[in-house]
Amino acid sequence: MLAGQIVNGLVSGAMYALVAIGFTLIIGVLDKLNFNHPEVFMFGGYVGLVALPHMPVAGAFAMAFLVGGLLGVLTEWMAFRRFVGNDARTTAALSSLALGLILTDLVHKVWGTEPLRLPNLTGWLSESFGLLGVNFLNLQMVLLAITFALMWALHHVIAHTRMGRQIRAVAESSAHASLLGVHVLRVNQAVFFISSGLASIAGLMLALRADTVSPDLGLTFGLKALAVMAIGGMGDMRGAVLAGLGIGVLEALMFHFGLGRLGELTVWAAMIATLLLKPAGLFASGHHGQEQRV
Amino acid sequence: MQASHVLSVANLSKHFGGIHALNGIDLQIHEGEILGLIGPNGAGKTALINTITGFYRADSGQMDFMGHNLVGRSLHEIGRLGIGRTFQNIRLFKRMTVLENVMVANKTYAAHPWSAFWGFGQRRKAVDEAMHWLQTMHLSHQADVSAQSLSYGEARRLEIARALAGYPALLLLDEPAAGMNEGETEALIQDIQTARSQVKAMLLIEHDMGLIRSLSDRVVAMDYGRKIAEGSASSVLAHPEVKKAYLGEDE
Amino acid sequence: MIADHLFFTCINILLAWSVYVSLLTGSLSFAQGAFMAVGCYASGYFTAKMGLPMLPATGLAALISALIAALVGYPALRLRGIYLILATLGLTFCIRVLLENMDFLGGIGGFGGMKGGDLPKAAAAVVLIGIVLWLLSISPLQRVFDAVREDDRVAAALGINVTAIRLIGFSAGAAIAAVAGMLYGHYMSFVRPENFDVTLSIYVVLYLVLGGVNNLYGAILGAAIMTLLPEYIRFLADWRPTVFGAAILVLLLFRPDGLLSFRPRTALSKHGRALNAPGV
Repeated sequence: MLAGQIVNGLVSGAMYALVAIGFTLIIGVLDKLNFNHPEVFMFGGYVGLVALPHMPVAGAFAMAFLVGGLLGVLTEWMAFRRFVGNDARTTAALSSLALGLILTDLVHKVWGTEPLRLPNLTGWLSESFGLLGVNFLNLQMVLLAITFALMWALHHVIAHTRMGRQIRAVAESSAHASLLGVHVLRVNQAVFFISSGLASIAGLMLALRADTVSPDLGLTFGLKALAVMAIGGMGDMRGAVLAGLGIGVLEALMFHFGLGRLGELTVWAAMIATLLLKPAGLFASGHHGQEQRV
Repeated sequence: MQASHVLSVANLSKHFGGIHALNGIDLQIHEGEILGLIGPNGAGKTALINTITGFYRADSGQMDFMGHNLVGRSLHEIGRLGIGRTFQNIRLFKRMTVLENVMVANKTYAAHPWSAFWGFGQRRKAVDEAMHWLQTMHLSHQADVSAQSLSYGEARRLEIARALAGYPALLLLDEPAAGMNEGETEALIQDIQTARSQVKAMLLIEHDMGLIRSLSDRVVAMDYGRKIAEGSASSVLAHPEVKKAYLGEDE
Repeated sequence: MIADHLFFTCINILLAWSVYVSLLTGSLSFAQGAFMAVGCYASGYFTAKMGLPMLPATGLAALISALIAALVGYPALRLRGIYLILATLGLTFCIRVLLENMDFLGGIGGFGGMKGGDLPKAAAAVVLIGIVLWLLSISPLQRVFDAVREDDRVAAALGINVTAIRLIGFSAGAAIAAVAGMLYGHYMSFVRPENFDVTLSIYVVLYLVLGGVNNLYGAILGAAIMTLLPEYIRFLADWRPTVFGAAILVLLLFRPDGLLSFRPRTALSKHGRALNAPGV
């Protein structure tokens, strides 16, 4: 049972990580919070709701990525592009929050406020297999595989492609990058596209695993991913992955040991602990930004 | 006969990633003196001020200010100990008036929020005190003007007035003459002499060698985060290492 | 009915002010839902379960709220504002979960038995707190807040204990939200943890942003508009989040330098020049 719980925790952790990576990517490159992120995550499930009756699961994932990415680009255009200066960060956060409100309200109007069931998965994905006396779901393995594939792909793009180099340059300093001929706007758009696309995929994954979609997921699951990001270190992608997986497993253990709903607090307690002990992030590898203390 | 140290910095280092902003620098500032600090861009002059005042945390080394250790202290502790500074890129409170900028540096309010809240009675006194500093820097006629509408020279003087309002023992000026024309620079020399009488010691970072010559009692030259020369203004400026460091610089 | 609307307007004004006080020191807080809950439950416990009269119960509740704020705020307030936003969101979420698990306070089912909240008391609270905020705005402490908000490192270099100032702002905001919570609970007489969720915290911040952050009157404007208008315009009530969100985005068009830019003070601020100081 414990092993099963841990695998479950890893799957949750993988989803936290995917959402956190996207969030932290935007912080790393634009140094701003995108509060529409949790809602795009939530919307991924609804993309699945619409797409799954008409296409195989793989297609639904592609759609989710696409729709999420477009929402991201829209967010960049409406909430992030215009602001420079001291309050820009807060203003961008609030504007993206406003967009999130609108998106959630639209979902309420179209699909209602209550959770909806996804069409049943058929075929291989709904089966399970046994290994060493533990029952694993094929779906869980697939979700884990997809997550790691995506993370690897993202790492590859950032580390080895031209776009990745440009992203890193802008993350270092957008002014310098611009002087070097990097088209900063394109980079920002790409970053939003990737980040929101990943979040949307994560949302679809959660929906598949839970068999339902709900408009509240943004503010529950999505927000936790923000805490995961803080634990991993702002702007630190490796940290986001490690923190996500770690928190997922930790939460599963908490539930396993009978803490019930209090297990929900795990991630927030961990975040407070991080702020107290190592504000730069428990799993942070490098230094994002200058001195942070006052 | 040694004048007492106001500030003593020993083997101070600070690095960012692979770059050593400060690389084992040693420096003393004696009571009653203006120490000039020169060096090419990137030599670490501002990094030194930032580390002394707590904007940067030193990686290693010692800093002693009138018997107090500075390493590891927070910004506001260092400010309260009696070190005041100005900023290379001017950091005034743009949304406050000139007078308010100086008033907020009044340490009575800074130290006690409770009395600051009820301090209506104190306000008269605080205003008078702030006006005194503005007068010293020839800014009293601008008292109610928004700080963001000041000219460059006025803004720099306001920074000095604000730093002085905290009654610092040590005043650190970071390129106060940058961007000034000749007339303004002349006036600045006067203002700095006035400021000098208010503090125990001063550190003056400048690229304007005329200013350095007229104001400094001693000069230290830096490059690559360490001291490369020390002595009188003329001896340092003639020093071969210093000349080499400035090769290619316009000055 | 109209008494109802006015009551809730008062509550929202108080909540918007609680965000405002924090924001004065540069901290954007999304925890008002949590502090409101603490105020509501704590004061409710004191009155309904322990029989205390309302005033001391409120005072105690506000104190508890402020203490929690200081405790939770301390790790986050020392760092960049982004951390406080996350911490406050987390706090709202956590308080709700905690309350749902505290059976002696009713758990998920809710907590009841409070009575005595009404419009006169709410209005009195608004007036009193408004006066305190007005006193603040003309006191020297306001300047210290301004400095901390505008450039916290320079303020610190001037000797200002920025963390302490931020704690004061944040805790004061928590206390005000607690008062709002007390009034709310004793009016509704029965509350559940889900009444105090993240959405509430977000809305409250947006009331303030919409009304304007330059002074204490903005909160009144924002809260009044967003509470009263939907009562009279059906469309606004049905599409509240969208309208709200759209309003914020529209605000962008008119204030391109941002929603939170505090306007700089121009010449002849009230207390600057009553001095006849000799000019030079």
